[in-house]
Amino acid sequence: MPKTPPQHEITQLLAQWREGNQSALDDLYPLVYDELHRLARRYMSRERKGHTLQTTALIHEAYVRLVDQKNVLWANRSHFFAISAQIMRRILIDHARRHQYAKRGGGARQVSLEEAATVVPDQSEELLRLDEALKSLAEMDPRRSQVVELRYFGGLNNEEIAGVLHISENTVTRDWNMARAWLYQQLTGSGAN
Amino acid sequence: MTPERWQQISRIFKSAILLDNEARAAYVDSQCGRDDSLRVEVEKLIDSHGKANADRFMNGVAAEAAAPLLTDDKIARHELLIKGQQFGSYIILDSLGSGGMGEVYLARDTRLDRTVALKVLSPDISQDNRRMQRFRQEAKVASSLNQPNILTVFEFGEADGLTFIAAEFIDGETLREHLRGKRLGLGEIVEISIQVLAALDAAHEARIVHRDIKPENVMLRRRDHVVKVLDFGLAKVTEHKHSTVEHDSDPEAITEFRTAPGIIMGTINYMSPEQAQAHKIDERTDIWSTGVMMYEMITGKMPFSGSTTSHTIVQILEKDPVPLTRLVKAPADFERIVMKAIAKKPGERYQTAKDMLGDLRSLQKRVEIDSELKQTSPLITRTQGDLGRHKKRVLVFALVGMLLVTAAIFAVNIWRSSRRNASSPVATPAVAPVERTLTYWITVQKFKDDKPYHDQFTLAGEINFEAEYRIRVNVRSPQPGYLYILNEGPASGQPEYNVVFPTPTANNGASLVPASAVVLIPKKSWLRFDTQQGVEKLWLVFSEDGLAELEPVKQFASVETSGLITDPALNRSIKNFLDTHSATKPGVEKGETLTTLKATGKLLIYAIKLEHH
Repeated sequence: MPKTPPQHEITQLLAQWREGNQSALDDLYPLVYDELHRLARRYMSRERKGHTLQTTALIHEAYVRLVDQKNVLWANRSHFFAISAQIMRRILIDHARRHQYAKRGGGARQVSLEEAATVVPDQSEELLRLDEALKSLAEMDPRRSQVVELRYFGGLNNEEIAGVLHISENTVTRDWNMARAWLYQQLTGSGAN
Repeated sequence: MTPERWQQISRIFKSAILLDNEARAAYVDSQCGRDDSLRVEVEKLIDSHGKANADRFMNGVAAEAAAPLLTDDKIARHELLIKGQQFGSYIILDSLGSGGMGEVYLARDTRLDRTVALKVLSPDISQDNRRMQRFRQEAKVASSLNQPNILTVFEFGEADGLTFIAAEFIDGETLREHLRGKRLGLGEIVEISIQVLAALDAAHEARIVHRDIKPENVMLRRRDHVVKVLDFGLAKVTEHKHSTVEHDSDPEAITEFRTAPGIIMGTINYMSPEQAQAHKIDERTDIWSTGVMMYEMITGKMPFSGSTTSHTIVQILEKDPVPLTRLVKAPADFERIVMKAIAKKPGERYQTAKDMLGDLRSLQKRVEIDSELKQTSPLITRTQGDLGRHKKRVLVFALVGMLLVTAAIFAVNIWRSSRRNASSPVATPAVAPVERTLTYWITVQKFKDDKPYHDQFTLAGEINFEAEYRIRVNVRSPQPGYLYILNEGPASGQPEYNVVFPTPTANNGASLVPASAVVLIPKKSWLRFDTQQGVEKLWLVFSEDGLAELEPVKQFASVETSGLITDPALNRSIKNFLDTHSATKPGVEKGETLTTLKATGKLLIYAIKLEHH
């Protein structure tokens, strides 16, 4: 098992990031990525039978493990959840891409098409398309895309999202409705323009 | 679609979906007027909204839908390249490590027959602009500088659809690693500083400011102790430059820096005052950081360091560091050089790396002469020759050099371990008083008809327990220790306890819990209390030593009996023990999501009270 970096380090990086130091995010990102990835895989292998992955529980555990609870501020927690949602998205997209790559027959250890197809029936494809659509949404409307990221990838509820983004819960609901309808349109091509 | 158009659509949409069909049509009509294309957009979106609802589109969370992707080991462990494989003009010799974002290989360049470190990006990375940008910048800057103390990037390219970077393979360790747990001799410190400054001198000549000089970014090659400066990922070209290769891209960088004055780059402890204030910076900021690094190398302490980022910044801006000669024995000349490098005002520092280099070189000569004269001040005993005394390191270390080229991008454990103590000054910790710390939080899952109902939530502590609640207690301590958790039901005559921890399934039945382990009790299922109303107590006992009084509870730990202790004598002695020791209450810090308990001494006892009605 990889060693967990010292909590004070992560806590400090979070604080630095919150204070506007963008390079702290660069340092933070891989640390949190590793931890979430490891936890996600562990959860999934442990609770395979019909269990679903509780994203919030997962992020919470990562938070407790990584962040020094003594010196933590609420603002850090929101920031942690925000970055975690972003990273969960990244983790899933990374996997989806690798899956696609394997399917195309790239890489050295090839997974046969049948094998790959039976393991993950097209989830990766859909996820990648959603990710793309979400990127386009972010260009038009960064906040709505963030609401989707926090809710769909971070597993946060509306109240938590409202806290992270400093908007009202009603606004979260409205943003979500709009964003989801638009994404649906993009993915199903029902409103392709 | 323009953002304005999008906002217009969204304004109509959000009200429209709240209306019934008839009213909606009229409302959309009234809002769109003659703008037919607007009407079409809005209607399409309303239609999609309905269909998305019907389809339960994105109803769960992504991880649920995509969970199989995470556990598909074939894909998760799918290595991009394997040993012996031909990749472009390289042959893969060995895998050096991998992280979530890419993989590093030792490879042979068949064209030039040399060994390189090859970083191959996961197929997804090339899609990520932020990471790609820093990566490309690093490659570009480093390859434009040709100096022996700067890590050489050979190639940045693509093969078989994968983006890669080939760089000089360095078998060695970072200065951070090298400093760990030891003090360096004056000769070695001077030598390292000279080489760092030589690298900076070359960079500055090309009008490139590194901006992130710190021990993590300085690598020492094992073979010949040559110093390599890494990570030009934050480097920027200075404003008043002449004609350099960076000319095209640079104005952008400056604009970015100027238009975002709030954004501070670099690592806080090595940051210059002007950097910390996000003022305009130039070469002299690297001089500062080098000075800080020299101070740290000789004293083992940071000249400017506070408990928080803001405190550190205040130190950097306002405080004079403790004179280093007060901390260690060092030549006055050395101190003078360091203090000049870390003068608050850039104008009072060395103005160029070359000037500082000159002073260090003369100091080095004097140190060598002194050493020949066998002047044996403890700090002067180790000179250049001692550079050779490097620890034996596995090959993997070579990776660090490569990784630090792209430090921000790759999450690789080896890299991580190399910067574990990045922000902590090398200092001996003070002897702390004996103290026990334990953190706990409670996960609650509502059940309905014996099935989980709603999402789980966590609580910092006491709750009013509802009948359908089932809970999990999560306990963690930064210290190792013996943990016992006992449940005491609402009082009724004879004391009676249930063992909750240790159990055969939790921690393999052992009461000794390693430091920082999160103990989930129970691990998979839930604690459920009987229907008897009143206050349930969960006794947390956490001790530095095993407790003879409580060890016997283990024999009753069984799922079938819910850990009920059936031996009256044992129950009595437990009660006795708890009564005696719970008189001293630990300090309780209740946080947002967890509670931290602190007790002085070797034993911590606390009862979590759960009321149920």
